Amino acid sequence: MKVSLIIPTFNRPHLLPRAVESAQRAGREVEVIVVDDASSDDTASVCASLRDVKYLRVDRNQGVAGARNVGLLESSGDFIAFLDDDDMRLPGSLDYQVSLLMAQPDAGFIAGGVMLADQDCIPTDEVAIPRGTSGDLFWEVLELSVHLIPGSVVIRKECFFEVGLFNPRLAGIDDWDMWTRIAEVRPVLLDPEPVCIYRVALPGSGQGSSILGRQMHAAVKHQERLFSLPRVQTATSAQRRLVRQNTRRRVADTLSWRAAHELPRGAFLFAASNFSIALRLSPFWAARPTHLRVLWRSASRQLLARSKNFLAPTPTPPVG
Amino acid sequence: MSQVSVIIATRNRSSMLRRAVESVRHTNCSAEILIVDDASEDQTQQVCTNFSDVHYIRLKRGLGLGAARNIGLIASVSPYISFLDDDDQRIPGSLEAQVKLLEAQPEAGMIYGRALYGDDQGVTQGSYYPEHCQQGDLFWDLLRWNFIPCPTVVFRRECLTRVGLLEEEAPGVEDWDLWVRIAELYSVMAIDKAVAIWRQGTPGSGQFTSRETKLHREAHRLHVHKWLRLPRAIAAGTAQRRKISRDFAARASQQLLWTAASRLKAGRMLESARVALAGARMYPLSMSRNILSPHTLRSLSSSLETYWR
Repeated sequence: MKVSLIIPTFNRPHLLPRAVESAQRAGREVEVIVVDDASSDDTASVCASLRDVKYLRVDRNQGVAGARNVGLLESSGDFIAFLDDDDMRLPGSLDYQVSLLMAQPDAGFIAGGVMLADQDCIPTDEVAIPRGTSGDLFWEVLELSVHLIPGSVVIRKECFFEVGLFNPRLAGIDDWDMWTRIAEVRPVLLDPEPVCIYRVALPGSGQGSSILGRQMHAAVKHQERLFSLPRVQTATSAQRRLVRQNTRRRVADTLSWRAAHELPRGAFLFAASNFSIALRLSPFWAARPTHLRVLWRSASRQLLARSKNFLAPTPTPPVG
Repeated sequence: MSQVSVIIATRNRSSMLRRAVESVRHTNCSAEILIVDDASEDQTQQVCTNFSDVHYIRLKRGLGLGAARNIGLIASVSPYISFLDDDDQRIPGSLEAQVKLLEAQPEAGMIYGRALYGDDQGVTQGSYYPEHCQQGDLFWDLLRWNFIPCPTVVFRRECLTRVGLLEEEAPGVEDWDLWVRIAELYSVMAIDKAVAIWRQGTPGSGQFTSRETKLHREAHRLHVHKWLRLPRAIAAGTAQRRKISRDFAARASQQLLWTAASRLKAGRMLESARVALAGARMYPLSMSRNILSPHTLRSLSSSLETYWR
């Protein structure tokens, strides 16, 4: 069965060929569609040198979601996959996921494991496996307890005909919005096998997810709109309250964890803004003693290291 | 492969749908018909399964017109695309003629034509819109007001890859938005013939006016925040942009005033005031200028007279 793999790209001609080559090795029958979202550099000439690629040039910048929609417009496969221009697909991974998805005709999409990688896309030992079991995952996805990376997902094309396209207004969380809408009407498959390499964003690396706090905040706000979905509407108000609370707690956890993680590397501003958003969303949860202790520990380590540097005599250059 | 994809988005109008589909079949053109059923609650599904050669897509959730059309676009395959509403009709032979003209002009992105006004039964009275079909670079004209009837348009699929799909969160003016974006990059063609029949809503209900104010509000929002920020509008300079928004405001406020007057004549004081207020809030300057013109004053006084009587 044919898979259309859509790679939206914007001003990253140096990274794009790597993503495209990995995509072509990921399956036997893959249609690779590169959607150039009005790049202002030499992305067009780089794409011209790539073989077997459907190159679409959007002249008016649409954002990632809009570019994905344009890719969908020109796709001809029965299954759709997405890949960010800085990530990679593992060889044979598309064929593997499609075979699993075909065995479950009612499932909407399949999500696989993700190998986390550094800025040069060299995998570290960490693998993020989607938590949970296959089946009806609507509430889990809505609560953000199953975190899905677009590069690890293969979707049946019919799903878009049932729930609609990506929402270009939701920068950065349009994928989550889509998974939720699909999970509402169809079961979801989760599989631990790693299928893609994900370049983990660093604060200030210019990647979309480097503004994690803002994205998470937007997600919490957008969740109120997702509450208009029929399945949430028929749920009891207690259930809705629980979903809201769980989401806020989870987001607060993620943000404070990231803050503690980035503090030793000196990203004070990043950590502070993330933790302040966590505090705003769920004050009592974010300010629990355990959280504060972890934060304090990493902050004090960083401060200590700084003061040592400050106190230590600067080495004098050798004379002569 | 078929030449044109005709996308019919429908919701709860199974009685009129058949007429729309039949009208496309009579256009002598290898047309692919896509019906996107926006989660109708009536017999639309049964009606559609009876059609042959129709690609029927049923959405599981009601998503609105823009989203339904976008889904139709994704599912379609032809190089030319036309939107048809479920209550409108195509005139025999029209699609073929339009596609032929568009094929001959590779730099044009879309072609439109005249629409005949029809009543609920789809019977025309001979009046049509627009009076005169302009051609060529229509970017600035489309920024003033929308004179292109949606069911008369045939556009190239490749336009969409360059300008993006329909905006879903602009209910009622998503077509206008697309024409503006296409006209920014392409020239627009026109055929001086009637190509579609346009059913006119009955403006008897309060729902109609509230919808009209909503449309104006959406158009105003897009005009300020999107269209005037398109690269071509920005490159044209402040003076040109100011002139265009003045024209836009004059046109819109005139229309709102006209609606307010007609509501007043129908004896609906509250609705009329609501429309006038909405207009005053959006275009305070041109609204006050319009309201003080002798023509408006005269018609307002006559409306008031009928109202008091």
